[in-house]
Amino acid sequence: MTKKIYFDDIKIGDAMPAFASAPITRTNLVRYAGASGDFNPLHHDETFVALFGMQRVIAQGMFIMGITSNAITQWIDNKYLRNFKVRFSGMTEPADLTDFENTKTRATITVTGEVVKKFAEGGENLIQCDITAMDALGSVKLTGSFIAALPSK
Amino acid sequence: MADKSKVGMEFPTYTFEVEKGKIAEFALAISQKEDKNQLNPIYVDREAAKKSGYNDIIAPPTFQTCFPLWAAGGLLPLIQALGIDLIRLLHGEEEYYYFGEINPGDIMTGKSKVVEMYEKEKKDKPGKFMDFTVIETEIRNQRGDLVIKTRSTLVER
Repeated sequence: MTKKIYFDDIKIGDAMPAFASAPITRTNLVRYAGASGDFNPLHHDETFVALFGMQRVIAQGMFIMGITSNAITQWIDNKYLRNFKVRFSGMTEPADLTDFENTKTRATITVTGEVVKKFAEGGENLIQCDITAMDALGSVKLTGSFIAALPSK
Repeated sequence: MADKSKVGMEFPTYTFEVEKGKIAEFALAISQKEDKNQLNPIYVDREAAKKSGYNDIIAPPTFQTCFPLWAAGGLLPLIQALGIDLIRLLHGEEEYYYFGEINPGDIMTGKSKVVEMYEKEKKDKPGKFMDFTVIETEIRNQRGDLVIKTRSTLVER
């Protein structure tokens, strides 16, 4: 799937290829709830969140982490991943189908990343890439990093 | 409020059998796709996965999140055991260390332990604190190999 990437070709400061999700819908949240088993009604039942004065359900943080993992594995093969960590910082509301054009931006996740470190450990050549997931309005959803062991030429 | 005497507490071991269909379902969900043909083939096609250097179809990087949710009775027993109020619960951080592949047919066993509990003052409300609980889990396959180690930080607002 991915292009062959070698440790030698990666430089500190290199950017991860840009990634944008599809606008997140309530159907996406329900599908993720079923797949993951996270049935917290906060993520699918608008009558539940209304009890706490919220207007809309919010996406599962782990769904956003999953989307972020797709951004990573579009660039780096799964087998090279050694560590992946995130800190959740903002909530994501899905797009409203009644006003899709105006609400899709808050529900579209872009993932960017930058290689910050190259090092050797345990006989492997590793890169650390810092990552940020935000919506199309610039509101940050999570920050984190991944470490990957890459082959050398 | 989180009960700080719970540091060191171990949760009952859970067992989760990895099904090919569950991997595809999870991959569809995180990829926002409707059809398996639109997915990275390593998540659905054994031959394609082998060609890419894997033993078999593999699970996506965050797949293990479904193990405790499906195999250990969901989130509530854990939250109740820790004395955390669900309404005030936030997922703060999540971290994975990868040591091997997860393939269909694997029987995964997870052992979780509370490793840290601490509090931090709220920046916007001095004198008010948030409680942090860190849970580490070792996930092994049926051969006893450590496949993934996870570290989850739960926050009670």
